[in-house]
Amino acid sequence: MKALRRSFLVFLVLVGGLPPVSGWTQVDITVTRTVIQRIPVAVVGLAPFHLESGGADLAAQASSILMDDLEFSMIFEVLPPSFLPFEAREVQLGTEEEVLPPLNKLKVQAMVAAELTMRGNDLILEGRVYNVARGTFLGGKRYFGDVKALRTMVHRLADEVVLRLTGERGIAATRIAYASKTKRATELYLMDYDGRNSVLVTGNRSINLSPRFSPDGRLLAYTSYRDGNPDLYLLNLETGRRDKVSALPGLNISPAWSPDGRWLALSLSKDGGTNLYLMRRMGKGLRRLTNGIGISVSASFSANGRQIAFTSDRGGSPQIYVIDIEGTNLHRLSFKGGYNASPKWSPRGDKIAFISDRGGGGFQIYLMSPDGSGVQQMTTLGSNEDPAWSPDGRHLVFMSTRGGKKDIYLMHADGSGQRRLTRNGFINFAPDWSP
Amino acid sequence: MVREARELHRKGVIASMVSWRGPLLGLVLLLPVALLLSGCPKKPEVQTAAPAAVAPEPAEEVVVVVEEEVVIETEEGPVTIQDVFFDYDKSVIRPDAREALDEDLRVLNENSGLRVVIEGHCDERGTNEYNLALGERRAKAVRTYLMAGGVDSDRISTISYGEERPFCLGHGETAWQCNRRGHFVVVE
Repeated sequence: MKALRRSFLVFLVLVGGLPPVSGWTQVDITVTRTVIQRIPVAVVGLAPFHLESGGADLAAQASSILMDDLEFSMIFEVLPPSFLPFEAREVQLGTEEEVLPPLNKLKVQAMVAAELTMRGNDLILEGRVYNVARGTFLGGKRYFGDVKALRTMVHRLADEVVLRLTGERGIAATRIAYASKTKRATELYLMDYDGRNSVLVTGNRSINLSPRFSPDGRLLAYTSYRDGNPDLYLLNLETGRRDKVSALPGLNISPAWSPDGRWLALSLSKDGGTNLYLMRRMGKGLRRLTNGIGISVSASFSANGRQIAFTSDRGGSPQIYVIDIEGTNLHRLSFKGGYNASPKWSPRGDKIAFISDRGGGGFQIYLMSPDGSGVQQMTTLGSNEDPAWSPDGRHLVFMSTRGGKKDIYLMHADGSGQRRLTRNGFINFAPDWSP
Repeated sequence: MVREARELHRKGVIASMVSWRGPLLGLVLLLPVALLLSGCPKKPEVQTAAPAAVAPEPAEEVVVVVEEEVVIETEEGPVTIQDVFFDYDKSVIRPDAREALDEDLRVLNENSGLRVVIEGHCDERGTNEYNLALGERRAKAVRTYLMAGGVDSDRISTISYGEERPFCLGHGETAWQCNRRGHFVVVE
């Protein structure tokens, strides 16, 4: 009876009473999340750790980042440390198995024990993952890095926890590319998926748009007015090398990668109208997919690479269409509303995210099945555009005006957990999520 | 007839609107463009992580216009080439645009050495990528009109800026109309 009451209490705490997590601002929760599907996990260890020079408690920061990552994953429900029957941060590596039985009593299914130490100039973060019910050690990792790399080390550990417990790749170490507009230019930036560590990747003081990560994450395709015309570039994120891969007269815009990374779909206006083309990734072997004087832009490949969804005004207003990569079987997917655009096929292939004005007063983000049925509205506040999927298909990044100007936001793929990522005072839009 | 444009030569215009329903020219202040373009300290292109306060929704729309008329010195004095304006999601040349373009045609035909770039622009509504294509179509529509009026195709080039370089900063029909345009830049 006591155990039952206690697990009921766990349920209450998990549903209603999670404390606000530092570093995040919960902006809007449109759908109550279902606790049942999540794995209850406890984070223990990470005793206070300060540099010799003083400063903040880095282990507390690590703990907070780790819990944010695990909570955001949609896979775990992190137990608030205050609810544990022992002092979580006093658990030392080597003795962590002692707390498995009390965690098991609380129906916690997984445990992460971690520790932050220092060797020379390197921080060392060690993490160990346990299946609580079976009392088994599933594996662990040690990360070495500069103090500045603490966040990255913790994100990597969070992904390790996801991998050990689910076999899936986590998204805590992923990044988001986006465009940021100042008075003088529109430049592209990369930031961690939690909005931290923004770095400039263009810096040519012209207009840079539509960043798109290649499926292996090494290349970033984008359009730039660097040389006066909107041309298409590939930036190698490892070497910094930039190649101009399409510079035909007129537009060279809205790139999309095929899932195997061998092809780029793009829109060109060289033949009158703005049509969809396929080219090999280094700019060779151009093949035209659509015809006519209309507009065809914003291509997105299906998960199996056989089809492309895109925006076209061939029917009189911007609507979403799908075409086979052979250029056959063109058909319209959206019929409601005067402006439907920016289709993005989910990584699992089961949904297409898009924007629509069907509700009136700006744009909202919706999901639909690839046959156009089962439309669900995901946003309600402000005007929302530019949806892009996380590589695991559990989240979406998008642009919203709800905070007064255009900024980048995240949400879970059920519409819950909407939160703002950019706070730099500029106009931020066109996000893309790295693999 | 050549349009007098000395007054408009290199002028910055700030239109401060009490309400977006009000007339555009109701409260126009004229300032030297230098005042607007100079005095901006060079900012490093690095983003700060510091959180910025969210600007409250303005109670009234403020439309800021930084505009420079194209003035061409000819033997008969300076002349201008007028911009043309479009309807939402349209690239059809409207009657008022036709009037402006007919005057532009006269200027171009009387000054055969002039070469122009037509920039296609859009308002902020709709997606950035779609608007690039829409701006392209607007610029090409203007080019086609001028070519039909006898201007050599090699004197007119086009480029689209979509919604990326607005002329009017604001979020209402006044600013939107101001930004849906074909803008002329004289290259020689």
